[in-house]
Amino acid sequence: MQTIDITLTVNDQQQTLPVKSNDTLLEVIRDYLDLTGSKEGCGEGVCGSCTVLLDGHPVRACLTLALEADGCAVTTVEGLADEDTLSPLQQSFIDHGAVQCGFCTPGMLISAKALLDENPSPDRQKLRQALSGNICRCTGYAKIVDAVAHAARPESGCPDCHTKDSGGDHD
Amino acid sequence: MKKREERLILGKGQYADDLAFFNMAHLVFVGSPHAHARIVSIDTKKALALPGVITVITGKEVAAHTRPLPVQANFTSKGWTWRLADVYAIPADKVRWHGEPVAAVVAEDEETARRAADLVEVAYEALPLAGDLRTALSPGAPKVYDDWEDNKQVHLVFDFGDPEKAFAMADQVLQVTNREGRVTGVPIEPRGCVGLYDTKNDTLEMWGSFQTPFLSRHNIAATLGVPEAKVKINAVDIGGAFGLKIHAWKENVVALASKLSGRPVKWMEPHRDFMATGPHQRDVFWDGTIAFKNDGTLLGLKATVFHDLGVESTNKGIAALSIFPACSSPTNMYKWVGMHVEGIGTVTNKSFYCAYRGYGKDKGIKFIEAAINQVAKKLHMTPEAIRMKNFIQPDEFPYHQINNYVLDSGDYPAVLNKAMEMADLDFFRKRKKELAGQGRYLGIGLVTAIEPAGVAVPNCQMGGITEARVLITPDGSVEVHSDRTEIGQGAEISHATIVADILGMDMAHIHVKRVTSDFIGQGPLSSRGAVYPASAVAKAAKLLRKKVVQCAGSLMKIPADQVVLEKGYIYPVNAPEKKISYAQFADKMFFFPGPRGLDPEILKAHDHLLDVTTTWYSPTTPESGSSYTSFCVSADIAVVEVDIDTGVTQIVKYVHVHDAGTIINAQVVDGQIQGGIVQGIGEALYEGLNYDENGQLMNTSFSNYLIPTSVEAPDIEIAHLETPSPFSETGSKGMGEAPIIGSKAVILDAIEDALSDFGIRVNDAPATPEKVRKWIRQASGQNQ
Repeated sequence: MQTIDITLTVNDQQQTLPVKSNDTLLEVIRDYLDLTGSKEGCGEGVCGSCTVLLDGHPVRACLTLALEADGCAVTTVEGLADEDTLSPLQQSFIDHGAVQCGFCTPGMLISAKALLDENPSPDRQKLRQALSGNICRCTGYAKIVDAVAHAARPESGCPDCHTKDSGGDHD
Repeated sequence: MKKREERLILGKGQYADDLAFFNMAHLVFVGSPHAHARIVSIDTKKALALPGVITVITGKEVAAHTRPLPVQANFTSKGWTWRLADVYAIPADKVRWHGEPVAAVVAEDEETARRAADLVEVAYEALPLAGDLRTALSPGAPKVYDDWEDNKQVHLVFDFGDPEKAFAMADQVLQVTNREGRVTGVPIEPRGCVGLYDTKNDTLEMWGSFQTPFLSRHNIAATLGVPEAKVKINAVDIGGAFGLKIHAWKENVVALASKLSGRPVKWMEPHRDFMATGPHQRDVFWDGTIAFKNDGTLLGLKATVFHDLGVESTNKGIAALSIFPACSSPTNMYKWVGMHVEGIGTVTNKSFYCAYRGYGKDKGIKFIEAAINQVAKKLHMTPEAIRMKNFIQPDEFPYHQINNYVLDSGDYPAVLNKAMEMADLDFFRKRKKELAGQGRYLGIGLVTAIEPAGVAVPNCQMGGITEARVLITPDGSVEVHSDRTEIGQGAEISHATIVADILGMDMAHIHVKRVTSDFIGQGPLSSRGAVYPASAVAKAAKLLRKKVVQCAGSLMKIPADQVVLEKGYIYPVNAPEKKISYAQFADKMFFFPGPRGLDPEILKAHDHLLDVTTTWYSPTTPESGSSYTSFCVSADIAVVEVDIDTGVTQIVKYVHVHDAGTIINAQVVDGQIQGGIVQGIGEALYEGLNYDENGQLMNTSFSNYLIPTSVEAPDIEIAHLETPSPFSETGSKGMGEAPIIGSKAVILDAIEDALSDFGIRVNDAPATPEKVRKWIRQASGQNQ
């Protein structure tokens, strides 16, 4: 099949890539660029595991055609840390035990980042709404919501951590 | 050790779909559009003509090159009905459910394989359906398996204690029915794997989302007719499992495709295929009569539980067996005189039955909890009062239950009391009355449960096998091997915590290895992780500690009982300054034991290698026949508000008090609780797999099979009690399934309480808004 060159700035690196007209952004990220952090769960835009930022806005990479992303900046989970130094949001996920099987985590992190970029101190309800497009089957969401709430307001300790007696180590 | 979670959060996880091999081909299945049809012919010419297509495998090739899937559970010897069927991974003669694979296309890339799959031409002759339990059991029903007498696969009959005496003693009896709809656990990652058949060595190796690699190896080797010793199965990062990745079935076709093509072959199951051709659960109907005294003393039960299995369930899945615990579990945590329980499993033209969190243990408990709440209502007792009256008491453990379960430990009244205190029951009961006058409907649900955990059942592949190995390497780091795959339940961190604690080492030096079929064991299922594998690992670590202490004593010229292991160092109790690190110690043990070497007695005893492999088996099962070893305890109290105009249920408050014995890692336990509760809420309110009259599954997507999102999931208030189990090596109890049991039951109970003015019995899950409105309409109509 014929290919068309597109330009993407993925995690701050500009790349020109030959893509097919029916390639999705997810296929390009995973298969061409070997950034396998973004996951395909349902493949039909419902589960949110493939969520990436496109020019700062969260999109379903499995439903976005690569051609539509031509000229855009893409942030994937691999772009959140500085080398292996976790971002505060990622560190908060670890501290709160918000990673269980880890499959939804990349998409969840991206949606959380999009929220915090737009609204640095969301209340718990807003936070739940912002994450409602990302399905998690393991955690029941409590630790994820706690992790994002804490990342939003680290200076206040863990006032929003709902599970007071989790005893999780926060070091 | 870099924490697993750090690797995953950086996007460095390696799940099945992230696997890439040189020269890898891709496999796609072709599914049947019919629910029940004879396969007249399959024409693969057009598919094979598509450039990039390597081969097409149909039922004929599967029959020619493989054996029927091995039987995973067989209770024929018990004198019960237990029918088996010869089933191949792909059928050659007829399809039995919508989506069942009739062919597999192997191509250079996935896209080509998909296009070719559309070009496979299959001629079907549609057959009449056994589309639901009622039809399948009716006389003259279409048969799912032609050589069976009828569609009944399983009929088990149990008498526990003395049921006749129980009913003779009763002041009253009450008939109770309960239905649970068909659901699936549906992890976000579907199944997938890569198979690599090495034609030079005649070996097969596979990597993928295998929850139980050792069982999968057995089943795949048996199907392919290859010695197990020539097959290795590797679990990679697994994106959730919940029991749904125990079996191996389509994986056999991937292995065959690699063998036939000589290429590594990858298969990733599309999500909608996972829904349509993956494991299903629940779909049961209970009809029972409970016997009791006027003072609330529970006496007995006579009940039958009907299961809609879908297609036969002893070789694709292993859940015909789940009828066993479904029948045993109604005893829950109470004293009884006797029970007569029958379990019937019927085959229908639906996808197969396999494990999902609960595995039958849930069904009996949910039923009996609903029944007990009915009894309480009849006797004008509170739900807590009837439970307090019938609980097994803290001083009665170990308690030999009438069904042979040996209940290990617990303080049931304390768990319930704590939950009641946290839930502020009196306040909400008052509030319910206040709101009733304002046309608002508040309901309070209360349920208590024990979870039978750590399974060992004869006559099946869940016999209790487990193996663990803990070793110290020459550089002083530690490897931990077991059959407990990491499926998001905290296997790795739990094992590392146990071993670090016993050896006096820092967690950073403990490396919990990926699970492969090299280690014997049935894997993490039926909440056995904290019972069998954790006990085996703890036992291996204790034996290794003994060796370390003995050898260090020899090196330091002190008695073994004066050796201290602490924070990664080894030292004489009286001379901490003489400490050596584990690295120094291991180096001496492996390579440089000089100047004069180890004590010759240690060498003569062959006891110098810092490597222990061992096993563990329940201390109660051999004598009692108890198929479970530990029984964690939980109490769930939920307050809901039902909007009677929309039928929508809102969860106002949720309290869960839990006693799973010694807690190894509190975050892990809380994660299991919160996740399980939300899954149970999904089952109670939304989740249901619905087939239409043609046997087509109507919901194969997250957009119409609704599971809770972060908005529907409530904040959950949790408290822990810790009554160690005397029977596990660490004192901890399996607890992964209790939360999904109590939560489903308590939400339904709370809705029933909210609708008490209408006199509605909420006994048909899920209680969707449509159903709630229907119940209210019907009740209002009757009342007019």
